Amino acid sequence: MQLSREALLGAYRRMATIRQFEERLHEEIKTGEIAGFTHLYCGQEAAAVGVCDHLSSEDMIVSTHRGHGHCIAKGCDVRGMMKEIYGRAGGLCRGRGGSMHIADLSVGMLGANGIVGAGAPQAVGAAIAAKLKGKGNVAIAFSGDGACNQGTTFEAMNLAVVVKVPAIFVFENNHYSEHTGVSYAVGTDRDIASRAEAFGMKAWRADGCDFFDTYESMRELLDYVRAGHGPAAIELDTERFYGHFEGDPQRYRGPGELDRIRAERDALKIFRARVGEAKLLDLAELDAIDAEVAQLIDEATRDARAAAPPDPATVAEDVYVDY
Amino acid sequence: MAVMNIREAINQTLAEEMARDSSIIVLGEDVVGGAGTAGGQEAIGGIWGTTGGLFAKFGPERVIDTPISESAIIGAAAGAALAGLRPVAELMFADFIGVSLDQLWNQMAKFRYMFGGKTKCPAVVRLIYGAGMNSAAQHSQSVYALLTAMPGLKVVLPATPADAKGLLTEALRGDDPVMFFEHKALYGQKGEVPDGEYRQRFGEARMVREGGDVTIVTCGRMVSFSEKAADKLAADGIGIDLIDLRTTSPLDEEAILDSVEQTGRLVIVDESPPRCSIAADIAAIVADKAFTSLKAPPKMVTGPHSPIPFARELERAWLPSPQKIEDAVRQVLAFR
Amino acid sequence: MAKVKAFTMPKWGIEMAEGTVAEWSVAENEPFARGAVLALIETDKITNEIEAEADGRLVRILAQAGEIYPVGALLAVLADGEASAAEIDAVIAGFKQADTSFGDEAPTVAAAPAPAPARTAIPADANISPAARDKAEAAGLGIGDLSGSGRAGRITAQDVDQALRPVPDAGLVGPLPATPASTAFASPLAKRLGHVHGVDLATLTGSGPKGRIGKADVLAAIDAARPVPAPAPKAETRAAAAPAAPAADHVEIRPMSSMRRTIARRLTESKQTIPHFYLRRRVRADRLIRFRAAAEGTRPTLNDYLVKACALALIEVPAVNIQVHGTDIHRFGQANIAVAVATERGLMTPVVTGADRRSVGEISAIVAELAQRAKSGRLTAEEIGGGSFSLSNLGSFGIEQFDAIINPPQGAILAVGMARPEPIDDDGAIRIVPVMHLSLSCDHRAIDGADGARFLQALAALIEAPQLLD
Repeated sequence: MQLSREALLGAYRRMATIRQFEERLHEEIKTGEIAGFTHLYCGQEAAAVGVCDHLSSEDMIVSTHRGHGHCIAKGCDVRGMMKEIYGRAGGLCRGRGGSMHIADLSVGMLGANGIVGAGAPQAVGAAIAAKLKGKGNVAIAFSGDGACNQGTTFEAMNLAVVVKVPAIFVFENNHYSEHTGVSYAVGTDRDIASRAEAFGMKAWRADGCDFFDTYESMRELLDYVRAGHGPAAIELDTERFYGHFEGDPQRYRGPGELDRIRAERDALKIFRARVGEAKLLDLAELDAIDAEVAQLIDEATRDARAAAPPDPATVAEDVYVDY
Repeated sequence: MAVMNIREAINQTLAEEMARDSSIIVLGEDVVGGAGTAGGQEAIGGIWGTTGGLFAKFGPERVIDTPISESAIIGAAAGAALAGLRPVAELMFADFIGVSLDQLWNQMAKFRYMFGGKTKCPAVVRLIYGAGMNSAAQHSQSVYALLTAMPGLKVVLPATPADAKGLLTEALRGDDPVMFFEHKALYGQKGEVPDGEYRQRFGEARMVREGGDVTIVTCGRMVSFSEKAADKLAADGIGIDLIDLRTTSPLDEEAILDSVEQTGRLVIVDESPPRCSIAADIAAIVADKAFTSLKAPPKMVTGPHSPIPFARELERAWLPSPQKIEDAVRQVLAFR
Repeated sequence: MAKVKAFTMPKWGIEMAEGTVAEWSVAENEPFARGAVLALIETDKITNEIEAEADGRLVRILAQAGEIYPVGALLAVLADGEASAAEIDAVIAGFKQADTSFGDEAPTVAAAPAPAPARTAIPADANISPAARDKAEAAGLGIGDLSGSGRAGRITAQDVDQALRPVPDAGLVGPLPATPASTAFASPLAKRLGHVHGVDLATLTGSGPKGRIGKADVLAAIDAARPVPAPAPKAETRAAAAPAAPAADHVEIRPMSSMRRTIARRLTESKQTIPHFYLRRRVRADRLIRFRAAAEGTRPTLNDYLVKACALALIEVPAVNIQVHGTDIHRFGQANIAVAVATERGLMTPVVTGADRRSVGEISAIVAELAQRAKSGRLTAEEIGGGSFSLSNLGSFGIEQFDAIINPPQGAILAVGMARPEPIDDDGAIRIVPVMHLSLSCDHRAIDGADGARFLQALAALIEAPQLLD
């Protein structure tokens, strides 16, 4: 298969945006200006982009507490996201959701979610809707190696198979559920994908730090699901470069682990290497993209810091559509 | 006007609304019945008989039997609603909010608010509740107080077939998540139901009768218990203002306060244990806003602070009754 | 700029102290020419017309027909052309009631408002909370009769609040009639108030959440429908001091409202000037009762049938269908029956015009409407005047028979009691059937015994053959 130049550039741009967005947040959070918990996605860019680059705005995704990457990959406005994380009135959710609850239904992003495993059943519901509408759309639940142990995930997988809907369970295995390693928390000595298989759906496995591997596996998977065979799952092996949350001392890391994964499992470096090798793109173009993205992130951060906070008088608005 | 019972009113309303709006789907355990069995489909049409016939009319894409997975059912309803459908999910027993509470509480109730008012989640969850049929502690509870306390949800309790139709239609036409409570002992209750399109606004209580001496506020099955008490009291010349709340969220405070201003005496009947109940909530609201109208402290008629027992005599002792209601009314009247 | 000035109660004769505006002859803002009759003023002695001294118009009418005003009181605002609201308001605001009292007597016109109630001092050792004391003193509430609900009988703020609360609307305490289902978006109390006071909720805009009609909206509508009081001091304030606080043996003094004063005056006049005589007979009501029971749809009341019966009987015996004016007898070509309606403020008698031509069903609807409006104080002058006969029925109160007082200028009035089982001669056999007692009061200056008797005969025949009524 061959991706077009635009597709490749676009994929890189999105991954770079995620990386720089998250890296910038990592710096800004230290100033104390950003309230609450933030969970950074650095290291998993290939997973989000490798999956979402197949999707239209009518395909839906449900994300996790570590949702910035999925938001950006699905097409949420970066400036709106930054403002939301800063808790400003102009944020994507008007300052009411914050980092863990960013949503934009107009691009098919059904929300980041603060409850581990909550997204899986919602994706099944969205898939029921998609099936009923009959346009071949799919609904994707992003989960981690932590969520794969939640009852809701199991119930959702079973329900998806039983009602045979185009739901896709993407398990990003970054080897840590909070401070606990996957080899402990996931009881089977096999991988997570086999659990999905046990529930009766087809499962793929791919390298979540390699855009191309993820993208190709997802292409097969989506063909399968859009053809109406029912739900499917994919386990993406990936890494997160930062802690579970910002402020996490990461005492669970082995010696030199962070350096190693930055060196060997950096999705952007891997992408550069692959396109350079295959002479698909000129690396200078990628540098140019990096520079543009840097500017975008700069502006977004500056705008967010200067933006107005929400009006306290509006605190009880938007609870209901119809009061 | 047709005469029918609550079960029929719900069934009919679902059928009519589903015919009118193709985005309405029904999901739950055994809402059709018989899936994957030798006996074949539509083995039951819902264990309470409320979803019978829908499968035949609307097919498997819109009437969906689910495995026993309350989290998945409610979560799927939440996701489907975000994705543009109007799902009606059934919790076979309201007590099962325990195994699905996150999807109700942290998800459905909060989507609109967390997402800055830019989304809506028009899901209806039908919960079958109530004691009086010896179903014991885990299958008899009235959990509406818990859900009333959650901002973002609407909580609805029809006490008559007309209200069952009116409130369910309103729930299906509205864009907010609605917790639709059906009392298991009221399904056979008959009454007149308006023909054609009929909506009953939320937050509009029903004055069942007006008597001017004591105000009784209640909802659900306790309405008919209170009516029996009121009949007996009327024979002694005691007039009851009987208010059927219809919905606890939103709450028709005005109707309650107007009545208490006239009568000065309030009895609240609630099929629940007393702590943090709707009765306690209303007593606080009235004490706050109509204190100087009160001629006696508000009296709550509730179950005791215990789970619901199994044995008939114990369950009867647990439940409020017309006699207990009547005694409470006489007590507030006798207060100095 | 129009010349805008006050139009006041004229003084006719040295002795005139006050007059009643019997009726206005021009409408507000209706232009009139010099010499036109503006109003009919009644005094103790005469009824006279006020004529316009120049062309102009009454740009605002303040005095109500039927109300008494002292000489010199502001009745309307007069202008020689159109006037702006500001000009009119200026005249009203700047108006000073002249002192037209007779020197040595206590002024019958009190220009000053009733004195503000003094702060009632409460003894320092009274068993009352500080908050309650403050409230009671400020409101001038005597605490002698209050029983305290606090500890050891202490009077609390709540007790004072409840004592100060006005007596609830009589329509709203105790057992209440079931209110008809209303589809208006209104609170239950608003619906109840609307029903009791005859306010159509469909005409109101609600001020509650989502536009819900509440108690306040309905009460405002009831207030708005009440006639606007004139700014001049009214008859009420001329009474002795403001109602005294209940004395030791609880005698409450209530000054008569102007309406009651008018009733008092007219009925006294009637009894004193009209030579009343009374004709009485019984009439069997069973056939009428059965006839009514067989009616379909909304059944008229028994009284509605009686109105029709009276109307037809009056056409048969026109000598009774009259008004007496001085030495003139006005004979009417149609039967305008005044129906007595008891309201909170007193007896009112709205008129069903042309009752002889109307079906019982129509009469029923009209009477119901008029009764509702009478109770909510919304009858117009036309609806009260012009009657040629009155019907008063106390049967629903259990009265078996009574004699009514003629409403001048009418010539007669029929008083009807309740239908109760009595023995009658039914073709030789004694049967017990419902029987009503009728009593016809007649003005002997205009109606003779034979006329009255013939009327009753015709009436009885109609009541006993009710199929003739519709």
